[in-house]
Amino acid sequence: MNEHAKPFSGRYVSSDRRVREDTRFVAGAGHFVQDIERPGMLHVALVASQHPAATIEDIDASEALAMEGVVAVVDGNELSNAVNPLMNGLDTPEVRRFPLAVGQNRYAGEWVAAVVATSRALAEDAAEKVKVKGEKLGYVMDPEKAMEADSTPVHPSHGSNVLLDRTFDWGPVEDDFARSDETLKLRVTWGRNSTVPIETFGVICEWNAWENVLEVWASIQMPKYADQIARALGLRGNDVRVYYDVDVGGSYGVKRGIKHTVLAAYLARKLGRPVRLIEDRLENMRSGDAHGPERIFDIGVAFDRDGTINAMKMRALDNAGAYAGRAPFQLGKPIGAIVGPYRINSVQYRAQSVTTNKAVQEAVRGFGQSPTNYALETMMDRVAEHLGMDRIALRRKNFIRSDEFPWEIPSGSKYDSGDYHAVVDKVLAQSGYEDIVAERDRLRADGLCAGIGIAACLEPSGGNSSFEPLLNPKNRTSTWMEGSRVNVDALGDVTVTIHTTSSGQGHETLAATVVGEVLEIDPDRIRVVRPDSLGSLPGNSPVGSRMAIMLGGAAANAARDIKRQISAIAAHSMGVAPDAVTYAEGVVRGPDGRTVEWSEVVDIAHRRFHDLPEGTNPGLTASFIQQVPTGVALPKDGKAQMYPCYSFEFHVVLMAFDPVLAKPEIRRYIIGHDCGTVINPHIVKGMTLGGIAHGIGAALLEEFSYDAEGHLMTQSFLDYLMPSSNEVPEVEIVHHCTPSPFTEFGQKGSGESGYLGAPAAISGAIHDALRPWNIHLNKLPIRMSAISDAIASAKENT
Amino acid sequence: MKAAPFNYLRPASVTEACEALADDAEARVLAGGQTLVPMLAMRLARPSLLVDITRLDELGAIEDSGEGIAIGAAVRQAVALRSDLIAREVPLLAAALPNVGHPPTRARGTVGGSVAHGDPSAEIALAATILDARIVFLADGEEEVMTPEDFFIGPTVTMAPMGGLLTRVIFPKRPSGRVGAGFREVASRRSDYAFASAGAQVVLDAEGKCIEALLGIGAVGDVPVAVDVSGLAGTGLGEKDIQDAVETALEDLECVEDLHATASYRRRAAARLAGQALEDARVAAMGEAA
Repeated sequence: MNEHAKPFSGRYVSSDRRVREDTRFVAGAGHFVQDIERPGMLHVALVASQHPAATIEDIDASEALAMEGVVAVVDGNELSNAVNPLMNGLDTPEVRRFPLAVGQNRYAGEWVAAVVATSRALAEDAAEKVKVKGEKLGYVMDPEKAMEADSTPVHPSHGSNVLLDRTFDWGPVEDDFARSDETLKLRVTWGRNSTVPIETFGVICEWNAWENVLEVWASIQMPKYADQIARALGLRGNDVRVYYDVDVGGSYGVKRGIKHTVLAAYLARKLGRPVRLIEDRLENMRSGDAHGPERIFDIGVAFDRDGTINAMKMRALDNAGAYAGRAPFQLGKPIGAIVGPYRINSVQYRAQSVTTNKAVQEAVRGFGQSPTNYALETMMDRVAEHLGMDRIALRRKNFIRSDEFPWEIPSGSKYDSGDYHAVVDKVLAQSGYEDIVAERDRLRADGLCAGIGIAACLEPSGGNSSFEPLLNPKNRTSTWMEGSRVNVDALGDVTVTIHTTSSGQGHETLAATVVGEVLEIDPDRIRVVRPDSLGSLPGNSPVGSRMAIMLGGAAANAARDIKRQISAIAAHSMGVAPDAVTYAEGVVRGPDGRTVEWSEVVDIAHRRFHDLPEGTNPGLTASFIQQVPTGVALPKDGKAQMYPCYSFEFHVVLMAFDPVLAKPEIRRYIIGHDCGTVINPHIVKGMTLGGIAHGIGAALLEEFSYDAEGHLMTQSFLDYLMPSSNEVPEVEIVHHCTPSPFTEFGQKGSGESGYLGAPAAISGAIHDALRPWNIHLNKLPIRMSAISDAIASAKENT
Repeated sequence: MKAAPFNYLRPASVTEACEALADDAEARVLAGGQTLVPMLAMRLARPSLLVDITRLDELGAIEDSGEGIAIGAAVRQAVALRSDLIAREVPLLAAALPNVGHPPTRARGTVGGSVAHGDPSAEIALAATILDARIVFLADGEEEVMTPEDFFIGPTVTMAPMGGLLTRVIFPKRPSGRVGAGFREVASRRSDYAFASAGAQVVLDAEGKCIEALLGIGAVGDVPVAVDVSGLAGTGLGEKDIQDAVETALEDLECVEDLHATASYRRRAAARLAGQALEDARVAAMGEAA
């Protein structure tokens, strides 16, 4: 571990350098699934169920099969006889999911049959002609109802709708509640939203019968994707080749089309032709199994009159939808930052996940952390309100101090570093906070509702997977590694590998920058490539805000190995000990001032075995598999080291709206952001701005809403409202750098920044604006009409 | 999201278009396509034939027909927005047009298409209702002229004659005197379907006293409605005058509820917007030479 007392000052790291991927995206030269054509390719359309739950008695495809261009119609019976169920995160073997419904469907829109034709349009025409016969079944949409013992079971053989109900007690919770001056209870609800990428999920599968290998091109962001495909299809691991050089048009967690892939792979093998399945927007929204958490929080908090928070009880009830997948784990990750940036002595956490007849939940940016942060920060606002205390002062009073790191929180995770007070001070000074307060008061005097929102929160980063063994004892995962390789070719040029796809995170820039930094050569001269999965080192894909730490660490360490090899070869050629030489900008200098050039070392390594030190292999290559810096031990006693690094953000937002029309308008938005050493400032800025836009959507606009009959009402962009450039304001970013002691350059993650605090901050601003009426709107998204109606009824009652 | 199969015709004349529409009860007119094409893609509309009228020059003019300003069915909203004639002679429509969709949809969407579609939140339909425009169809070789009140009967339900082609919408020219218009709406996001909208037009005398006031409300119910604010005549359009008139005029306003906005919200918002639109209209009229 490196100690970084001060921010890392590099030659390329943190410098104002262009993001290399941008050029091809801006020029329209990206390479997406839709751009890939295979000879003889077939296309898939899906037959969707019309009811939230119904048996499937008979599927009559005769009319469809007689249509022009139609090659096959496959149903769940056929498919489930040929493939294994998709993976569950928890040990819930009776909650079985296949790409097509088997025997019955469990949510409206679930795929019942797949129609394969020579074009997507023909496949859609034919899909309309497939007749599905069955009986309607009972269904349950509400997670609290689903918990009840007499509730309709979504999976009868599982016995109940409960996937997970686990209570953790960390520290003397009851004692702390008893000794505190005050307690307070609140309930807040995070509405079902997601990331909705501009490119829907797509996949092409092709069975290469001569090589006996399944070729896959996909818009994917998923750990162990190739393994999961092989397991589902009963293939060997080396029978599946996933191409990682496919650009992914947005994801933030949701691009995990394993069901799509298993279906397309089965069809490709069955038909002996390449098969493409690209979701349309309706399929993406209704049946892409890509909704995010939907979560009710019941919180009890115990505190003293001076504002000291002593203990918290949090119950989180999450609606996983119709199948399990990895959804319950999104209750697990927040355990690693369950107290946010605060010194809270003890915590009780009850995590509950239930099945209902809604679409399946998938990972979304933050993996459950943003809803948790919203709940925590609403709690802090309520405590301040209760005590009549300034909201910022309350937070400052409870912040962990910079000299207390590494700080272990009650749930067993150690926070690496931070200086929360300094970030807040910087934001208040740079934003002119007093002017913001004056502006709010001026707006109020003009008859508008105006409020300031505050949110302080953490971004756990470095994507470990400790929540898996913590919540599923059968799971023994204690590594979540990432690999990279650095080659110096016979002409002396450097190539670095990435072993995953990217969905806009700038990994090529990241890899080139850190290798350039270590080898002291211009990153623009370094090529970055993505071998396919069969040529790849182990890795876990870009999840959990981890790649700056993990890919950055792997590439830097591989480069360090190259540097060591170069130094050893040069030292040998000078006849001195390896530790007697110094390396600078590719040139090795001996103790007597003699130098050996890069080209000379390359020549020795690639051509002159006789000049190599004894026992040295020819060529110049190094691979490094990076282990998560703190990920070593399995969880114990319900405690775990979750993620290694903790970025901090502090939001201040000024909002105003007319009390009748109630359209919230953001007047100022300032975020203080500390993700340790920044590798590339443009990437971090882009993540933060996009994250805030995403958070505005979660707070005010976006929700997958179902009606009482179990149908999704928001299944296009007409009703699922994403913030546009009209709704996203200019954001002022205030930087701070507290390096992590656990990472290569002191970097932490930033892939979820902005999103993790924006919903809480916006909700806080609206509540500050509504303070005269003492109104609490406890569910996101907060719709305009809810604000206006609440004000109107408060006015009537006064 | 691929359209169900359909045939496509680009007629050379209005006559040919009308013949095609008369021959096939399942035919639909394609103008700007900003609503119809997404509906085709979602298979919510399944016409057998699309009759594309966008290249018919006969339908492409904005003209002073004496009785009013006639806007041909193929006139794009963006063109109408830039029209000096409309800005001069139909100030309420000019005030409504910037609220229609956003620049890319206005570049293709047509004035006639918006009216023919009959969406209750359509700004052009509201302006037409307030001003009592004339909606002109050609069916069976005959012209049929309808008033907005008769034409709009439900959400996207109209009294369009079977097999007919909307050829133009005629907006009455501004009255003489000091005329001002105002248009306000509210939606979740700029350019979304409005939750409530209000359009107003006032005529003032030399002293600034109101001679005539018109007001209409859109997006809250099944159809855009003109409401009676004639009581404002003779007043100075003071804040209290406007507030009282709006309150009376909207007493029986029927409002619908959906996921995004409650009926009570729509009613309250309509009243707020109506007051703002009337005030905007007054300010605009005051700016006119007495």
